[in-house]
Amino acid sequence: MKELKENIIQRLKTNFADAVAGSEFSYNRVDVHVKKETIPSILFYLKEEMGYVHLSHISCVDWLEEGEFELVFIVWSPVDKVKVFVKTRLDRENPVLENIDMIWRQANTYEREFREMFGIQFTGLVAPDEFILEDWQGPPPFRRDFDTAEYAKKTFWNRPGREDAQDVRETISGRDGEEIPDFAKKYSR
Amino acid sequence: MSFFDLTGTLKPLTALKQFGKQPHTISYPKVKKEAADRYRGFHYNDLEECIGCGNCSTICQNAAIDMIQIEGIDGKKGDSGLRPRVDNGRCCWCALCVEVCPTGSLSLTKDYLYVSEDPDTFLWTPGVDNPEGKERVSFTSTGDSSLNVFQRVPMRELEGKERVKSFAEVVLGYNEAEARAEASRCISCGICTEVCPDHMHIPEYINAIAAGKDDEAVRIIYDNNPLPEMCGKVCTRRCEDVCALAHRGEPIAIRWLKRYATETAVTADITHEIVNPVIKESNGKTVGIVGAGPSGLTAAYYLALRGYDVTIFEANAKAGGATMYGIPKYRLPIESLDKQIEYIQSIGVKIHFNTKVGKDITFKEIYEKYDVVFMGVGFPAAWTLGIDGEDAQGSVQAVNYLHAINSGDKVEIGDKVIVVGGGNVAIDAARVSKRFGADVTILYRRRVEDMPADWEEIEGAEDEGIHIIPQAIPVAVHKDENGRVKSLEYVLAEMVPDERGGRPKPVEIEGSNTTIEATSVMAAIGQMGDYSFLDEYAETIKVDRGRFVVNDKQQTTDPKVFAGGDAVNRTADAISAIADGFRACKAIDEMMMGTEK
Repeated sequence: MKELKENIIQRLKTNFADAVAGSEFSYNRVDVHVKKETIPSILFYLKEEMGYVHLSHISCVDWLEEGEFELVFIVWSPVDKVKVFVKTRLDRENPVLENIDMIWRQANTYEREFREMFGIQFTGLVAPDEFILEDWQGPPPFRRDFDTAEYAKKTFWNRPGREDAQDVRETISGRDGEEIPDFAKKYSR
Repeated sequence: MSFFDLTGTLKPLTALKQFGKQPHTISYPKVKKEAADRYRGFHYNDLEECIGCGNCSTICQNAAIDMIQIEGIDGKKGDSGLRPRVDNGRCCWCALCVEVCPTGSLSLTKDYLYVSEDPDTFLWTPGVDNPEGKERVSFTSTGDSSLNVFQRVPMRELEGKERVKSFAEVVLGYNEAEARAEASRCISCGICTEVCPDHMHIPEYINAIAAGKDDEAVRIIYDNNPLPEMCGKVCTRRCEDVCALAHRGEPIAIRWLKRYATETAVTADITHEIVNPVIKESNGKTVGIVGAGPSGLTAAYYLALRGYDVTIFEANAKAGGATMYGIPKYRLPIESLDKQIEYIQSIGVKIHFNTKVGKDITFKEIYEKYDVVFMGVGFPAAWTLGIDGEDAQGSVQAVNYLHAINSGDKVEIGDKVIVVGGGNVAIDAARVSKRFGADVTILYRRRVEDMPADWEEIEGAEDEGIHIIPQAIPVAVHKDENGRVKSLEYVLAEMVPDERGGRPKPVEIEGSNTTIEATSVMAAIGQMGDYSFLDEYAETIKVDRGRFVVNDKQQTTDPKVFAGGDAVNRTADAISAIADGFRACKAIDEMMMGTEK
């Protein structure tokens, strides 16, 4: 297994100059990082030349602090029985990637979801404008800087009968006579 | 298709061959299928387990959960008395509320069907409106799956063998990264604040530490505690007992975090700079304070901030009271206490050291000179064992021993010390004696688990090689020909359950007398007050069962005199004394400014 995994990395590195091996795993998983321009060709190569015919999953991670999105393509070979994670980073300000639904058709659905939930654009993607959200006006809701609680507060109203809700901190401080100074209140829950 | 082709007509009849056979897919009589093992249906809340911390309500991204008062559930220490109510019209069953529940009382059930035309009936109080849910829980919170961090960031300490060599501080304190990590575990419910006698703003300062704002944390801490570094090192921290996380894990290290924050203010000057206290213009009123212990210093600090002219009279050479003379320096270094007292003096509090009221100055003088008097006199005298031979040379009271050591005096204890008692004073005296190279044994009349001392202190003592003999009652001290302590005789006791429901009582086992060699015997079985300094004022300032009689504003039976600390409260710890001082300060201010309610 170890040898097989090393061979996979070696082969990818030889063919794609920007491929860098990621973290090592004790099980059947290989991670490889590439530049976003390489994505279509490396995925095509994995599928057509190396037998990684199955696209298991595409995932997105919002690295808010680093100003980047990370897309993770997980492909599987029924022969090698190894998962290859192909990862790439996109600029969060202008997240654009090549459409890859001609390699796997089902990628089309993932791409629609990323476009709607993260605001990532795929050049050449042909798909209806809306995916799950109807008439969505706000920022893409899966981005980490989207405040779900704030949105819910702004958008929906409380049904009548909820006025008796109490604040735990106030209840306790009211009971024992604690006086919380104003400058400290911004640190209250 | 020809007219005679009957295939399409007859083919369906082939299904008849299955007639009367046992079906493979559906069982009869029909069994309703259970939802999946971790199905997320309606909420269920175990009302007994729930402490009303409100973490579920805070995390809910849909604002579907309210905390409400429920009939039959009253708030108490460690329980806000509130319980969650869910608006099922808004809930999206993400189950974050379950995953952040510290006690694990909240769970989701397998029930997911509810139909009603009245939208108001979608407001449910889990556990109250669906008690049957208890049998149907599926998505529960387990220690593994919980999003709470139940493990405390460990505190670094000196090794037991290293410790006994010197009086170096045993606990090394958190560094910045450790403090941030530990502070980030807090769920900020504030349940702890009710248990703190002083009601410190605990979630606020912990959140400030978590946010990297140590200065803000120090300012919040100083809002109602002028000796926080001392508390950060030696507080009895009852707050940690009720911590929401303590129900299934280790409580937040509230004490160590306070210590971390206050230690970032390295000197009194820096403390002054950070706290940046607003000192009101002098209002011309004067306050005389007897005793520079925690309660006196607290009253003095906050009264001085409010524009009062405050003078403290302290019998000893240093301020701090029992925290200075009763606590060994490996727990509370002298520099730390000095720094805090220097800061208190820097805002205008005057302290007259080596001035014993009743000897160097009369109480009458103070009473007549100042507009208001506050007494934080503590419990200076110790109980004696009341057994034969106690007058032997080398038989001492543990508090007196600690007082002498902390004053820098030398005390001859020999190499075999026996400490009698199970409180913090006993453990302190034992651990101090160990540091002077003695073999130390602690005798305690009850079991080790009954010891009132902090468990950390007991463990620390055991680590340092101190031997504890539980269920042992001393009966006599034997002297040698020179009148020195030679040995201690004790009897073993068995624990007899108290029929009235109290804690089990030790009863002597006849004939179990044992004698152990000793060079020194220290009694640490409690202290008492000494109110002889009051003279003629003893008539107006009433004392009941060894303590001053005060109202809820710390006012004694003489309206001009207030009191606090060990001589008033029953908890006998520094934080209660600080609370007394703070309460007295507010009451004095109200009385003097005529804003009394």
